[in-house]
Amino acid sequence: MSDTNITKSSRRALLKSTALGVGAITTGAFSATFSKTARAASADGEKMGVAFIQYVAHTVPAAWSKGIEEVLGSQPNIEYQLLDGQAKAEVQVSLMDTLINKGTRVIFLQPVDSVALAPSIARAKREGIAVITLNIDATEPHAAHIEMSHYYGAKDIAKVMGEKMGGKGKVAILNAPPGIIIRDQREQGFIDGLKEYHPDIEIVANQVADWSRKKAQDVFTTIMASNPDVTGVYGINDSMALGAVDVAKQKGTLDKMTIFGNDGEKDALASIEAGELTGTQYTDVYQQGRYAASVATVLVTGAVSARDFEKQGHLLMPYIIVTADNVSSITPEQRW
Amino acid sequence: MAFFKIPNLVIILLTTVIFTIFAFTADRFLTLANIENILTGYSFLAIIAIGQSLTIMARGIDLSVGSTVALAAMVLFDATMIFELPGVFAILIALVAATAAGALNGLLIVYLRLQPFVATLATLAAYRGIVYAISGRQLYPELPTKAVTDPWIRWLGDFFDVERALGLGDFISLPWIPISFFILLIYAIAIGLLLGRTRWGLNLRTYGGSPEAAHLAGLKVNRLVISVYALCGFSAGLAGIILVGRFTTATEALGSGMELTAITAAVIGGTRLQGGIGGVTGPVLGAFLLGIILIGLTLLEISQFYQQILTGGILIAAIGYDRLIEKRKAV
Repeated sequence: MSDTNITKSSRRALLKSTALGVGAITTGAFSATFSKTARAASADGEKMGVAFIQYVAHTVPAAWSKGIEEVLGSQPNIEYQLLDGQAKAEVQVSLMDTLINKGTRVIFLQPVDSVALAPSIARAKREGIAVITLNIDATEPHAAHIEMSHYYGAKDIAKVMGEKMGGKGKVAILNAPPGIIIRDQREQGFIDGLKEYHPDIEIVANQVADWSRKKAQDVFTTIMASNPDVTGVYGINDSMALGAVDVAKQKGTLDKMTIFGNDGEKDALASIEAGELTGTQYTDVYQQGRYAASVATVLVTGAVSARDFEKQGHLLMPYIIVTADNVSSITPEQRW
Repeated sequence: MAFFKIPNLVIILLTTVIFTIFAFTADRFLTLANIENILTGYSFLAIIAIGQSLTIMARGIDLSVGSTVALAAMVLFDATMIFELPGVFAILIALVAATAAGALNGLLIVYLRLQPFVATLATLAAYRGIVYAISGRQLYPELPTKAVTDPWIRWLGDFFDVERALGLGDFISLPWIPISFFILLIYAIAIGLLLGRTRWGLNLRTYGGSPEAAHLAGLKVNRLVISVYALCGFSAGLAGIILVGRFTTATEALGSGMELTAITAAVIGGTRLQGGIGGVTGPVLGAFLLGIILIGLTLLEISQFYQQILTGGILIAAIGYDRLIEKRKAV
């Protein structure tokens, strides 16, 4: 894009009335606002903005946001804002534009699409704004990426799941929509895990269920119709796995099924305790939010510019594979 | 030039008032970057709204525009990424696909005598299904995380530096104008001429005013209706290719829910739901008014849930206002 050629900061210092068609009518009245715009360029003692653009309202981003707030809330000079991407790339891109214009110092982003948000991340970087992605990486390198260790987690799920299934049988994957890196990582981890530990288990279905419990119920019902001998299900997130649990319960086949989710949300842990869901990869998502916020507090000072990063920071969160055997080890305050 | 005339003064006034309010209350609202954001974020919507207003003028509606946006985007993505066609051809094919989708809506309405609401509700689902079925991102595992690099397509998402082009950089600061805004301008002028200066435009207004009269007058009504929906599809297609330029990919869910925003923009722009009355400036202003409100509220850090409620509220208010005027005229 051609806008790399010129540094934007210089031309943004002051808005001239000529820039606005509407402004022509009331030019005089706007003079007060001009000075405000100029001030925003550099101000001392001003609150520094940090914002989080979530994918869509869901347990995981809600827990991150809580963890983030815990850390940032103790810092009086930081103002934190949670924004909803409504599961739409166009909404997230527009929000990125608005935050860039606002001069937000650090943006946490859970991209709806790893490619579609890349130009926005590049733009933020040019403006010196640090972008930290949570769980879903983007194709454009940025300040840092903090994830639940998708590949290794999914590989471990395959291992434990295969053991529960006795090393044989047919499994279905309830998958995320394409275009997001997390999908590839978890899918690949699971496939590699089965290949390595349980080569006799066959993946017979791999379908998109849009992260949603409701959608997963429909998708899994269809899968069961065409593959009645499926005994294992891997949901790329807990919501989709719980959707499969709903269907199996309704059909009365739950005791024959081995169903694994991913993430470790409160409902999934409760379902494991109730003997329904077999297991999941648990990550302390509050903690993940706190880590992200700690990184942000360093970046927000501006002493390290987003433009200085040659290589993207990468943090894989510790995790455990939770089943009925160890679910009680997760304390109430770690449940999200 | 009746169709470049202000459809009603209220929208201009409203836009000015709301713009002024935000300029004073919202930090960073009155900046070049924000003007750019409004232009980039809502030019494509204005293009869809123009198309939508045509169907509304013809006493119809097109609920499938959001899916058509995605269809054009995905055809473009496939054409350039799978078939590796040069950008110009890929863009052409995408526009043809979107126009065909629109024309099919028209055919369903004319020959199956379906209500436009029903016909386009059906194609809303069907076109979205096609998008998933043809998605190169689902068919080829390496494509989802690859960006479109074709310069023609990338250009659609680019900006034009006015002050440098005019050599005025030393004197004034102007916002960088997104290419999509120029596309909108050209398109709006073309549709404006079509409405105001051609037999087709006259026929459309006649038909919208009274379909029976148009029929009696011997107008080729079927052809007219099909062409209106085809044009609406083309508008959605234009928006779709612009979004691919901006996002460097096409997502399967692209444009979902956009029909509501486009209808809202058309209606606040003074397009009468009873048909017959409408133009191009109205929907364009309507789209930007929505943009000003939504971006302004985000800058004021007002929750997006309220913003969505507000969008619905604005639509109701616009229709209510329209009805009120109607009633006054009738009395």
